[in-house]
Order: sequence, then C-alpha cells, then structure tokens
Amino acid sequence: MRKVSNRLLILVSCILLVLVTITPALAQNPITITFMGHGHPEEHEIFTRLIEKYEERYPHVTVNYINVPPAEYMIRLQAMVAGNQTPDVFYLPAGDLMPWADSGLLADLTELVANTDLFDEANIWPEALARYRYDGNMVGQGPLWALPKDVGPWALAYNADLFKEAGVPLPDPDVPWTWDEFLENARKLTRGSGNDRKWGAAFYTLEAAVWANGADWLDETKTRVTVDDSKFIEALQWVADLRLVHQVTPTREEEQSMGGYSRFINGQIAMFPMGPWDQPAFWRLPFEWDLMPWPVSPNTGKNATWIGSMGFAVSSRTKNLQEAFNLAAFLALDREGQQLNYELGMAVPNLIDMAETGFLNMDKPPANRKEFLRIITDYGRRPINEYTYDNEWIDAFWQGVDAVYAGRKTAAEFCKEIQPEMQSLLDRAIARQEQQRQRNR
Amino acid sequence: MQTKVSIYKQEKRWAYLFVLPAVLQFFLFGAGPLIYSLYASFTDWNVLFGVRFVGLANYREILVTERFWKAVYNTFFLMLGTPIGIACALMLALALNRRTIGSKLFRVIYYLPSVSSVVAISILWTWIYNYDYGILNTLLRMVFGVDGPNWLYDPTWIKPSLILMGVWRSFGATAIFYLAALQNIPQVYYEAAKIDGAGPWQSFWRVTLPLITPITFYLLVMGVIGNMQSFAEIHVMLSNGGTEYSGATIVYFLWQKAFQNYEMGFACAVAWILGSIIFILTLLQFKTMRHWVYDGS
Repeated sequence: MRKVSNRLLILVSCILLVLVTITPALAQNPITITFMGHGHPEEHEIFTRLIEKYEERYPHVTVNYINVPPAEYMIRLQAMVAGNQTPDVFYLPAGDLMPWADSGLLADLTELVANTDLFDEANIWPEALARYRYDGNMVGQGPLWALPKDVGPWALAYNADLFKEAGVPLPDPDVPWTWDEFLENARKLTRGSGNDRKWGAAFYTLEAAVWANGADWLDETKTRVTVDDSKFIEALQWVADLRLVHQVTPTREEEQSMGGYSRFINGQIAMFPMGPWDQPAFWRLPFEWDLMPWPVSPNTGKNATWIGSMGFAVSSRTKNLQEAFNLAAFLALDREGQQLNYELGMAVPNLIDMAETGFLNMDKPPANRKEFLRIITDYGRRPINEYTYDNEWIDAFWQGVDAVYAGRKTAAEFCKEIQPEMQSLLDRAIARQEQQRQRNR
Repeated sequence: MQTKVSIYKQEKRWAYLFVLPAVLQFFLFGAGPLIYSLYASFTDWNVLFGVRFVGLANYREILVTERFWKAVYNTFFLMLGTPIGIACALMLALALNRRTIGSKLFRVIYYLPSVSSVVAISILWTWIYNYDYGILNTLLRMVFGVDGPNWLYDPTWIKPSLILMGVWRSFGATAIFYLAALQNIPQVYYEAAKIDGAGPWQSFWRVTLPLITPITFYLLVMGVIGNMQSFAEIHVMLSNGGTEYSGATIVYFLWQKAFQNYEMGFACAVAWILGSIIFILTLLQFKTMRHWVYDGS
C-alpha cells in the first residue's frame, strides 16, 4: 500500500512539474501592436470596431490605433521610420510600393498569406493583390508586400434626369458608346445659359482616353516615356477639344471656380466620373443616377479606366510578425468589416463572393453596380505612377498639360516638348532604383 | 564692497540659469539638426534607405535641375512683395499716426491678418481669387467692366496674386513697427524744420524718412528672410506648385523632394543653398546699411 501511495505521489509530482513548466508557455505574453492610418470618421469607426473584434479573438494582443490627417500621414510615417518607431501595420499607397519594398522596411507577406486560415487567397480580386507584388524590378510580379485596403474602380456616372430632359436615351449598361456617340450625346445634353447652364460631361479622365486609344505614358518595360506617340497625342487632343472646340464640358475657368463634382451634385453635369467612395454622397442626390460603361475609342474598340488602391503593409521591424499580419488581414478582409464597408458605400468588397452577391444585390443606386466589378475584372488598370520609383516625371506632365487644356498649345506641341524632360526625370528615377538594387546586393 | 561682489556673482549665476533653457533648446533642437543637415547634404540620405556619402553630387545635381531654377526665380519674384509691403505699411502708419476718430480701431483691424493662421488666410484668398465667384473679379466686373484673370491658375498671374496676398497679410504688423518709430521722433525736429520753412512734404522727406531708416532696415532684413522661406500659402493655394510650376518656391521644391520623393539628403543640400542665399542677401544689406540707415551720428 505504501509502495503504491509512494508511486502515486511520484506520479502526481511529475504531472504537477510538467504543468508548472508548460503553463506559462500556454498563456501567451501580452503584446501591443501599433497600427497607423488616415481616414474619415466613418472609416475610423469601422476600424475601431474591427480592432475590438480582433482583440476579442486574440486576447493577448492590444492594438494601438493611430489615425492622422491624410495630408500629414506620409510625413508622420517617415518621421516614425527615421525614429525607429515604424508602426507594425500601416497604410501604404500603392504608388509608393517600389521604394518601400526595396528599403527592406516591409515584411514579405507571401508565405503568411499561403499559410493563413483567415481568408482564402483565391477569393480576393487578383488585381487587388497583384499591384502589391514587386520583384525588385517590376510591379505586379514577385513577393507580396501588402494587403489591399480596397479596390477603387473609377467609373462613369450619369444623371438620368438630365438625359430624359434632353431626350437622350439612357446608355445601355452592356454596350459601351464610342467616343463619337459620347460626343454626339454630350452635345445634346449641353444646354441653357447662365445659372441654368447644363453640360454634357465633366472633364474627361485623360487615362481613360489615352489607354482606350491604345497609348500609354510609358512603354511596356516602363523605362521609356511614350507621350509623343501619335495615339497618345490624338487622345489628349480629343479630351482637350471636348472643352475647347465642342464646349460640352465646363471651361477651364468654370472648372476651377467650381469643380465638376459640385456641378454634378447641383444637377448641372450629365456625365461625371466617380469612385465607389462617392456613393454615400450620391445616395442623397435628388435625381436619378446610374453607371455607364466608359466609351470605347473608335481606333481600338476598347475602353479603359484606372483602379485606385491603398494597402496595409506590415513592418519588417515588427517583433510580432504573425499578430501584425493577422491584424492587416482582419482589417483588409474580415467579412464583417467588408460588409460594413460596402453597406456604408465606402468601397467594393475585396472578397469576390461578397462582391458578386451582397454588394451586387444592394437596393441602392447605382442599379448598374456591376460596372464597378466589370472595371475590376475587365478594363481597369493601375495608375501609371505605380510602375516607377517616384512621381516627378509624371508631375512634370500634369504641371504642363494645362497649356493644352487652356488652348495655349496643341497636344502635339506639348507632348513633343515635354517628352525629353519627362524622360530625363524618369531616367533619374530608374537610376535611383538601380542604385538601391545594388545596395541591396 | 565684498558683499557687492558676491551679490553680483550670485546674480550672474541666476542670469546664466535663466539663459540656460534657451541655450539648451538651441543646441538640442537648433544646432544639432543644423549640423546633421549639413552632413546629410553630402549624402544620399533618404528616410527609407539609410545614409551613404556621395560628396558634392547633390549640389551638382541641384545646379542642373530645371525646376530648382524655376523655384529660385519664383522666390526672388515673390520678394518684390517685401518693398511693396514696406511702402504700403509706411503709408498706413502715417495715416494711423494722425489722431483721428477710430484710429485705434483701425490699428486692430489692420493687425488682425498678422495674428491669423496662414492656412486660414490662404483659404480665404483662394475664394477671393476664384475666377467666377471671387470677390475680386466680381468687383473688377462691376466697377471697371473688365473680366479679371484667372488669378491662381494663369501662370502670369499666380505670382502677383501671391504677392498681393502677402502684402495684405503682413502690412498691418509692419505698420505697427512704423507707428512706434513715428511716435518716437521728437517733435522738436518738426518744429525746427517748420521754423526753417519746411513744408509737410519736406518734413516727411528730410525728417521722418531718415529717422525711421533703422526700422526700415530691420523690416527689410526680416522681410527678405521671411519671403525667401514662403511655403505654407503655396502648399495650400496651389496644387503641385501651380500651373507650369510657376508658383513653386525654393522651400516648396525642398519640401517636395524631402517628403514626396524621400530624398532627404538632396533636400538638405537645397536647404543649405537657400540658407547661403539668405546669408549673402542679409550680409549685403548690412554692408550697404551705412549708406542709407541713419544711426543718430
């Protein structure tokens, strides 16, 4: 009996010993991760809610959420990086991906995405992820450096009431107009004078015209500026002529004194480009509106527009990589958060199944909300600056193009004149990229 | 005697103590970054990538950068605002110096812009300059029947618009300086001038103007330094430095390089070039001061 009790005692002691040793390992140490972003009050509220949910799911993690004004954001972020206080998770504009990824400040998320059970990679718009891939040479391929906060298809909206008043049939959601049809209808929609003046369209998005016409700012290797290409020049002149010759958009002065957005809201403009984030404001409009496909160029029969995006990056300096990644995944892809986002009219869901069901079946305008998805899957593109190290080369274009819009120069004169300057600025950006690559080696 | 010395010593100790915070502040937040920025201007420091010494490369590149020279030209153009502002302020001060009804109220009103935020003022003036709805063009249309230019978008008018706003913003404060100077001029000079048969114009030209030259000198120096560093209004009122970069100043160019392009080393070099320009201009002003500033001798 004594032997038995001795053995029992030894056994109990052993179990106790094992328990004492492993218990602390089981209870995880509390950690804090920092998340920095910028956003308007609704976004801040949604994120606060998502963070609470995240903290419930991972009770050992506390999230310190820093929300700064958008204009200060990049400056603040740089200061934090310089002060060795990089947030664990932070917003990264897609256009800044290349230098940030090369700097080694971003954690490579490829493996983490492959192994996570928080979401299914196949259920995210491929384009939404692809723009955060970068192999040190070209964006769109290689390791993944961020998760998409949103996909922002730049669509074309129209004021249906103005169409009816002018006797213009509403655009077919499935058959895009050609540029000629666009111009012809815009002419019919441009009427009245003084305060009753109505315009066919707001200023036409230049990217939509240039890309549709088969041209681009850069060649395929993204190393040569191609704005002097005849197709580019033709598209630019077409856009400028909508104002200068055909007068179907507000003049440059009118545009500058009151932007197209305000004029569309006032019911003065029939066709106006919008992003999904404009929906909440447009839901309050007193007129009927919807989306139409972007017109196709007669030269190519194709249309195009851009898709904006913001990413959630994870710092490579984080001490809690997995938790930081989980937070980014939660903010980017959690179903509840995504649903709130689209219900509030802030974005198109990143999750394909949700976009194709809940989002598509919403009972709020635009009725043709499928156009948003069509842009994402069919004809939307990344803004061109996402392929280069900095924006100086394209800034030079935007700073000067006003001369064409004001009629001081023709598109051909301007493009031929600006191309060498843009090329030299682009060469400089490429040289910076090359220097960085050498340094990384 | 002994006690006097010790009191003096004690006072001296206290004096140093009082000065200490300012000195510390300067060395911690002024001199430190200053020296570092000089070093950084010889590197390719960029917040993301760390620091590598590149010698004079940044300076060489700045000198061949077209936009830098545009910014230099714009900055010097905007400096025209300094003498214009000083002249306007002097006229205002002369008017306010008369003891008329409401002169105190006017002093407050004219001083208000100087204590308002630059951003608020810039937004206000963006509306004043609005092509269609702006008060300025509306007035031009109503009073003179002419269509005003597109102030903030037409490359020809951007800089004059900025100058006008700058003058409006600063001349109240400048006038206060002049007012103090005017009130410091002893009446006896004017009485003596009167006895000698001087009229009002001669009194102003021969008495007032020379006696306020020290203040004019001070205002000129400070005005040039301030105008060389204009940034906030350009950032708020113009997008991307304005049409054809015609409103961008050196500091705006610097800011773009540092915070949009991550080129801190390059931006530091621009800052040192700007610092040198300001130093040379100030030095020139001091060198020429004995020719025109009346120092009482």
